[in-house]
Amino acid sequence: MIPLTPDVEVGFRVTGPVKTATPYLTRLFSGGWPRTEDWPAKNVHTDEEFARATGLSGRNASGAMMQGYLAELMVDMFGEGWLSGGSFSLKFVHQVGMDDSVTAEATVTGLSNSGQGIAVELDVSCKNQHGEVVTVGTAMGIIDAS
Amino acid sequence: MTEENKRSDLLLVGDEFAPLEFYVTPEFSENYLHAVEDHHPRYTEGPGAIVHPALLIVFSNNTRSPSFSLDPGTAAIQTHELVEYHAPGRVGSTFHVTFRVVDTYEKRGRPYQVVEAPVVDENGAPIITRTTTYTYVGGPYPRIGS
Repeated sequence: MIPLTPDVEVGFRVTGPVKTATPYLTRLFSGGWPRTEDWPAKNVHTDEEFARATGLSGRNASGAMMQGYLAELMVDMFGEGWLSGGSFSLKFVHQVGMDDSVTAEATVTGLSNSGQGIAVELDVSCKNQHGEVVTVGTAMGIIDAS
Repeated sequence: MTEENKRSDLLLVGDEFAPLEFYVTPEFSENYLHAVEDHHPRYTEGPGAIVHPALLIVFSNNTRSPSFSLDPGTAAIQTHELVEYHAPGRVGSTFHVTFRVVDTYEKRGRPYQVVEAPVVDENGAPIITRTTTYTYVGGPYPRIGS
């Protein structure tokens, strides 16, 4: 947990834990209803042959998985309150391959007073083990200053 | 109007995918905690345990709609995402997702479809609202990166 405090400044940067999109975890995430006969559902995230048939170079991790990593970082920073008023605007710019390691990060870019506390604007991204940005965008959250 | 018999990549502005309802058991929730390697007690402890945001995101993808269908060798890929978080979802709740196409456009020969997907709980309380841009790969569509 890296909670933001009311004295946070623009430029403050937080990095989340390194997550590896293993074939197993990716299948667990994108395989559909767990513990059913149809699990895992075949799609570009769970099945190599399926992915190649669509012209992709191979299985990739879902953009939703990157959002999960970023949401974890936001909830760590703002607390559970982020789930009541927080937001993301994201762009998925590169595929995340099997066994790629991804790190979510956030940098404070703006602060303003709102009726509920201090409104915080952030640049957010997920980078792979080569330092390439795979997901990029912005986020908003509120620090309760009471 | 729900377009249950129309191929998903052909849906136009105003068309809807069939809605999805799902119930989150503790086991279902834990599947996603493992997948994103986030084992914070807020997601497991007590009657108010929170559903991980990643689960709500992956189960509100258009691919989860019961009416989602594509030709073999074709797949939907997320390119952009706007998400507003309204309230935490709780384990042991039923969630209802609707999917409506709000924009379609073509850029460099590639089709894009923007889908608004509000997620509400069993009391109709808003949990998240997603506005997701999808493109389609495989079949007649350009390869990713081309």
